[in-house]
Amino acid sequence: MLKHLYDTDCVTWSPQGKLFQVEYAMEAVKQGSICLGLKSNENVVLCSLKRQPSELAGYQEKQFKIDDHMAIAIAGLTADARVLCKYMRTECLEYKYTYESHHPVGRLVFKVAEKSQHKTQSGAKRPYGVGLLVAGIDPNGVHLFETCPSGNYYEYKCQAIGSRSQAARTYFESWFHLFEKSTLEQLILHGLSAIKKAIMEDEELNEKNVEVGILGKNLKFTHLNAQELRDYITKLEQFSPNSQIQQE
Amino acid sequence: MIFNSEISGQQQHTTSPVVTGGSVIALVYNGGVIVGTDTLCSYGSMAAFKNVQKIAQISKNTIYASSGEYSDFQQVVKELAKIDRSALQYDDGVHPSPKDYGNFLARLSYKKRCKINPLYLQNVIAGFHNGERYLGLIDIYGTYLESNFITTGFASYFCKAIISNYWNENCTLDQAKQVIRECFKVLFCRDCRAHDVIQLAYVDAQGAHIEESERVETKWDFNGFKSRANEKLHTQ
Repeated sequence: MLKHLYDTDCVTWSPQGKLFQVEYAMEAVKQGSICLGLKSNENVVLCSLKRQPSELAGYQEKQFKIDDHMAIAIAGLTADARVLCKYMRTECLEYKYTYESHHPVGRLVFKVAEKSQHKTQSGAKRPYGVGLLVAGIDPNGVHLFETCPSGNYYEYKCQAIGSRSQAARTYFESWFHLFEKSTLEQLILHGLSAIKKAIMEDEELNEKNVEVGILGKNLKFTHLNAQELRDYITKLEQFSPNSQIQQE
Repeated sequence: MIFNSEISGQQQHTTSPVVTGGSVIALVYNGGVIVGTDTLCSYGSMAAFKNVQKIAQISKNTIYASSGEYSDFQQVVKELAKIDRSALQYDDGVHPSPKDYGNFLARLSYKKRCKINPLYLQNVIAGFHNGERYLGLIDIYGTYLESNFITTGFASYFCKAIISNYWNENCTLDQAKQVIRECFKVLFCRDCRAHDVIQLAYVDAQGAHIEESERVETKWDFNGFKSRANEKLHTQ
């Protein structure tokens, strides 16, 4: 993106009706490594590619549990994500304390969006530089939401954000009609297939750089451990969405 | 101690109730839950307000009743209705379940109790949600209990035996109503601050139904009363 006039702060509109600072914040999300989510009638799966700042460093985690029934995957500024993560966890805890039940997912996303919007309407603040994929299950059903720095939020059947996410979205557009009735295993394999489309030629998926989180109606949020990841990545060789169609 | 609030501006604490409602009896039956109260609000020992509705519907499948200070009852109804309306605010069609209301009320009561300014109530939340019957008792301290049957006030002393003998959790609606009517008969005879006009409300899969008030049948034309045999002066 090139520099524009009218982009100094959040309180200046451009003549075309854009808030450039907000747009720039959304660029920060696009620079983060890819994370994606997809849901069926029973489960939600989050997959993300973890970055390693250097060979000496560990891999940056991108998925965080908010409560037993909810988790997020982040793309963008990790520090900003930490703030939102803490906020969401606190809200869930307070809701549980007061009502002894799980915070409705859509409502929490609404609160996060409200908080994000607030940062776009002040001369002294900047928008959050992180996009979240919120996966959650509540009495209303299975949910996958995306939030962005502008304060908007959307509900999805499947979505990918971050670097080279368009490749994953293209995969989704071809196959998302299968997801609703997919089993958990099929969903995970779809997610990994989509991530595979988004990695560079010289990169490989392995249990270190991929993170998979699963959530189900009777399944609290968990990460797949290293062995399970290795197994799924191996299964990926034989997996093709066509085989799923033949089964149905 | 009572401070004159106009002079010192000090907040007063509820130490004793002024206008009070009587017992609440709630039972589950095979298709839902049923709650009964009488329709009297007493001003001390005066039967001041004789046609008061003490059962409130707070959402499609939840009702609330309580015994104790009536103004606190009215306030709690407002607080709980606020929560139900939050669905409109968030535009997401999510309504709290009866258990959510019960827990909320427990937290509210506990908070006020910790400030030594309680809601002077024994509360009952009754509801039917996702095929499950719910009855919750929240007392003045914020204690929270779920049960198949609940009694507050004097009913806890007089009516538990009747409930034990004539009710079970899978009885029909009519059977449950009869048990409650029987309990209020006994209460009218033995509790000085009870009334013979009662109101029943039940929640089933179709939602909450609050019925018109009814008078329990009591019999007063006993020969013993007419002859006043008990009242003969005993001479030494």
